[in-house]
Amino acid sequence: MARKKKKILVLVPFPMTGEALGMRVAQSKQIDLGPDLEFHYRPVKWAGTNFVGPYDYVLGDFSILEAGLSAQDDGYDAVCIDTMSDSGVAALRAALDIPVIGPGRTTILTALMLGDKFGMLVMWERWLGLYKKVMDELGVWQKYAGFQSIDVAPDRFSLLGGSEKKIFPLLEKASWRLIEQNRADVIILGSTSMHQARDYLARKLPVPVISPGPTSYAMALTMLNLGLAQSRKAYPAPIARSDVYVHAMLDHAAQKAKSGPKLVGAEGLKKKAAAKRRAKR
Amino acid sequence: MAKLRNSRAPSRKAKARALVLVPFAMDEKGVANRRAQLTKVKLGPDIDFDFRPVTCGPTMFMSAQDFAFMDVAIYEAGVDAAKQGYDAVCIDTMSDSGMEALRSALDIPVISPGKASMLFAMMLGNKFALLGQWEPAVIRAQKFVKSLGLEAFCAGVENYDVKPDYVNLMAGKEDKTLPRMLAAGKRAVANGADVLILGSTTMHQAHEYLSARLPIPVVNPGPLTYKLVESVLDLGITHSRRPWPKPLIPHGDLLHAMFKAGAAHSTGGKTTKAKPRAKAKGQRR
Repeated sequence: MARKKKKILVLVPFPMTGEALGMRVAQSKQIDLGPDLEFHYRPVKWAGTNFVGPYDYVLGDFSILEAGLSAQDDGYDAVCIDTMSDSGVAALRAALDIPVIGPGRTTILTALMLGDKFGMLVMWERWLGLYKKVMDELGVWQKYAGFQSIDVAPDRFSLLGGSEKKIFPLLEKASWRLIEQNRADVIILGSTSMHQARDYLARKLPVPVISPGPTSYAMALTMLNLGLAQSRKAYPAPIARSDVYVHAMLDHAAQKAKSGPKLVGAEGLKKKAAAKRRAKR
Repeated sequence: MAKLRNSRAPSRKAKARALVLVPFAMDEKGVANRRAQLTKVKLGPDIDFDFRPVTCGPTMFMSAQDFAFMDVAIYEAGVDAAKQGYDAVCIDTMSDSGMEALRSALDIPVISPGKASMLFAMMLGNKFALLGQWEPAVIRAQKFVKSLGLEAFCAGVENYDVKPDYVNLMAGKEDKTLPRMLAAGKRAVANGADVLILGSTTMHQAHEYLSARLPIPVVNPGPLTYKLVESVLDLGITHSRRPWPKPLIPHGDLLHAMFKAGAAHSTGGKTTKAKPRAKAKGQRR
């Protein structure tokens, strides 16, 4: 009899389809966790733009919670969240009995298994609040060597595609600063959206480089194979579930997004600025 | 097979081999009790685990003398692992004995359950508790947690007051031991633990019993290390060189000779009672 495959649901924090979603899915091709595991990627129905502050964090928590609420009933064995902000993780851990894994907490703790201090390699300083949120919750500031940023606004949809030649060397330089100035033992890529740079950096650098997405998948498998999930004591179940209302609100937001104002994220602002520069010339 | 790799991590072979270092010198029966941990976790088909006891070492693990002896014994047993074709090393003791030295000598991943199980527990909850066997283990564990800087995440160390048997483990004593372990686990829950970690890899036989009866996840440290070895091989990462710089001279051959001589004098792994020192004149008991 064929062994039943374990199914992992990966929640993508922005609505997307086609090529953009394919770039997120590519993370699962970076690691081979065996034939008994299957990954399914589900984008949220609606979201704000980039996660750059408390306003976005609240929206992220809510939209990711909605996207994952039915995971257990849908037959999934574990849920991974595709954002270093760990948005929605605590709420989904409370709602579900299956393991829910956020890459923020998971990569930091994995880094500490491989070295004493970790550093964050980031595209954009506006992401820093997101790590503060995760580290405040985890309480491991004393193990944080610091960050280095290349100060390039990220593109949520094409990720690093098309700009590898420009971006990869910048990331390498910033990594060396993390190693030499910040004294980081281990480097964590500051976003799951940076996964395309991982192999390049790993070839060039003398310290471990952790890609958050694949690391969260490996830890999901570890939990499943050990028969473990998050502690119910740390994440008590809600007394009553409001799923029907949460779904209705997100369905309404998704419907509204079709006819409402178009939200412009960091990638849109960048394009707008470039168009303005061209017009001036 | 791993697709991700860091520059220092050796590429993974189609069939990986990991070496599990057993911290006491023991015969095949004792090693078999340790090897039984492999049955407690589902592992992929492309990895094999070999178990190797130290050449000689302490017979108990309760004093600073034992800790120093075990550090060197585990280092000696594993220092040639990469040369012998192994892709990773596991250390079968929660004390992480020998891990620091082996990480400095080897490029292949060296995974030990002490620190790793605490960090893993923090992926499952906010506070962990350790289950120690007897009072000496409690003091040791408390010091260890403090040295790792993880005190803020530790809800306490509970013990069930049964002297450890490193060779036979719990065999034949289950009826007496398991309820005491459960009572200690319940105390940990009452003290605020979200996750319980078995404080020794020798407790693995109790994992199912405790998991079925406690309301919090119970981490079984040995099987966790096997899975972590698989994960780091799949992710193509190994420990950082920065906290564990290479030794100028690894001293493997010298240590092999020393331990061979030590083994020739050893008791064959049997626990021996220290002779009571002659009472000095006028000494008060």
